[in-house]
Amino acid sequence: MEEVVQNPDNNDRKFALPVDSEHKATEFRLLSVSTPHMRAFHLSWISFFSCFFSTFAAPPLIPIIRDNLNLTATDIGNAGIASVSGAVFARVAMGTACDLFGPRLASSGLILLTAPAVFLSAIANSPAAFLMVRFFTGFSLATFVSTQFWMSSMFSPTVVGTANGLSAGWGNLGGGVTQLVMPLVYSLIHNNIGSTEFTAWRIAFFFPALFQALSAYAVFFWGQDMPDGNYNTLEKSGEKHKDSFSQVLYHAVTNYRGWILAVAYGYCFGIELTVDNIIAQYFFDRFDVDLNTAGIIAASFGLVNMFSRPIGGLFSDFAAKRYGMRGRLWMLWVVQMGGGLLCLLLGKIGSLGLSVAVMVLFSVFVQAAEGLTFGVVPFVSRRSLGVISGMTGGGGNVGAVLTQVIFFRGSRYSTEEGISLMGVMIMCCSVVIMLIYFPQWGGFFYGPKKGVTEEDYYLSEWSAAEKEQGFHKMSLKFSENSRRQRGRKGAAVPVQSDPPTIV
Amino acid sequence: MKLLLLQVSLLLFLLKTTNGEVLFSSLPRSLVVVASAMEGQVLKAGEDSITVSVGLNQTVTNQTDESFKKVKVKLCYAPVSQVDRKWRKTHNDLKTDRTCQYMIYDRPYDGKVEEFKWDIEKDVPTATYFVRSYVYNDADEEIAYGQTTNDKKSDNLFVIQGISGRHMSIDIASACFSAFALLSLVGFFVIEKRQSKIKS
Repeated sequence: MEEVVQNPDNNDRKFALPVDSEHKATEFRLLSVSTPHMRAFHLSWISFFSCFFSTFAAPPLIPIIRDNLNLTATDIGNAGIASVSGAVFARVAMGTACDLFGPRLASSGLILLTAPAVFLSAIANSPAAFLMVRFFTGFSLATFVSTQFWMSSMFSPTVVGTANGLSAGWGNLGGGVTQLVMPLVYSLIHNNIGSTEFTAWRIAFFFPALFQALSAYAVFFWGQDMPDGNYNTLEKSGEKHKDSFSQVLYHAVTNYRGWILAVAYGYCFGIELTVDNIIAQYFFDRFDVDLNTAGIIAASFGLVNMFSRPIGGLFSDFAAKRYGMRGRLWMLWVVQMGGGLLCLLLGKIGSLGLSVAVMVLFSVFVQAAEGLTFGVVPFVSRRSLGVISGMTGGGGNVGAVLTQVIFFRGSRYSTEEGISLMGVMIMCCSVVIMLIYFPQWGGFFYGPKKGVTEEDYYLSEWSAAEKEQGFHKMSLKFSENSRRQRGRKGAAVPVQSDPPTIV
Repeated sequence: MKLLLLQVSLLLFLLKTTNGEVLFSSLPRSLVVVASAMEGQVLKAGEDSITVSVGLNQTVTNQTDESFKKVKVKLCYAPVSQVDRKWRKTHNDLKTDRTCQYMIYDRPYDGKVEEFKWDIEKDVPTATYFVRSYVYNDADEEIAYGQTTNDKKSDNLFVIQGISGRHMSIDIASACFSAFALLSLVGFFVIEKRQSKIKS
């Protein structure tokens, strides 16, 4: 596939969508597959979907697998924790890889690297082997970071919340769809082709494995890192400076906002992962529904992602139109608190119908909070966008590991007690959102500092020497384009001052 | 006709539910069950078979087998295979009891000592087992039982080794696809390197 190569200083409209000065699209057209913007969107959500599909392919087939491999409940629980813990560090590493190599190579590389774990699931023969394949398959969830990075590279700040929310939400959908599809694939092989139970589930795993591998090829051959070309092209022509790993890492870890968003994400996305692992069992045990019904209820939690996460992104962009960054932060806090409250309620409800209804509402809030978190992430850093995305994403998985270890392992709490306590923890941890402050736009309680501009904030990531060599050009353009985050009350473009060092 | 059938089945359904649950502890041990599997023996699923014989327990007095209409013989998990596995838990209420999950045979009761040879099916998992038999009345409720082990379920248990489900073809396909995926990854890097050389 030909790359669409464009001189970044050339503002001729050769793109199918309207673009800004960085050639990022300022509109989002869902039904288009035009190169490079919308194609990148569709490639990223489909490949991320395939990773989620593979990671959660085992849970719906557990009743068969546990008999074949002689698993105990502890083995199953540990494998569940393993499946989400690999991505904790993989997501941070992925962020760095995106900054250095570009999202196309980073994501297709990781997807292809983890595909063998899914193929080899078919020959797992013991609890230990089962744990290992779930652990390594889970690494593929790091493609979330490349998805967000790619969208932030292709779409302008005014629509980035929507793009991020849709691509991540539709990717997360994989975790819900798999609960419905894997049992179907299994029964096709078992009933129609006639394989025994213990063979049929093994063959069924080739389906997610092949899907995953094929999506990696699609991303590699049809994708493009940035609107103007791939990293290797842009680096050779001098338009993109090949950044230094240590500098990128430094500017990410020293930015306190990245850490706060990591905690916030741990208590929305981390909760989603935890619920994916425990909810079928909860309905099976507490309400005595059969395994298939429990699976359908479990699937509906993940399927809500189709619109709820994108709605979060939309709400973020919508709040920003009027109130700028402050609006994004307020919305995030309100929705996260709402999710925590509903979680607390969920554990207390004793009737099946009401429980399912509250669960669905809870999932809408949790997933919208995820979309809202990633409405803020693209603005934390321009230079280290990848690592910040990775830290936030990794924080999500840490949240999942923590909640499963504290509330859902062993018999200290019953599942319903665990769920209510998890709700309390969500509400407590969302307080940190109030601590985020952008000098140029303001924070939860305070408005912006007078005279501070977007350039001051983003250019403080580059040293004087680096600026002399012109490495900071992209940050300059981004600063202009992010002016809208002041909201409607924002003053006209201010005079550029001597950039002080902003923390 | 359809309406009549609907009414009859509704009536039967109601009768069944109003009859309440059957508790295992209420059942008399009226049957003697003998299986060919010896204590500690290891049998292979898909290859070996078990011969089971079921008869009326002569030592239990004051009972009659008039109400025995159907007999079912099942393969049941021993306590050691139920540890940390809620899906195999023993409950006193037979409707929710998950101890016996595999059917050996299901026949009308005819009063004679029944002997039956059962080929162990391929979907039986690796575990320790015993054999239990239930007899049912007209309303399809359990009214008596018998088993090959003692009350504590500690005696005369045997092991069945399940199949792995793996086949040579799956192993090969798995390995080949994995190798191909990794080789393509190397290919990606080679292509990228070449592309950047061309552009410079």
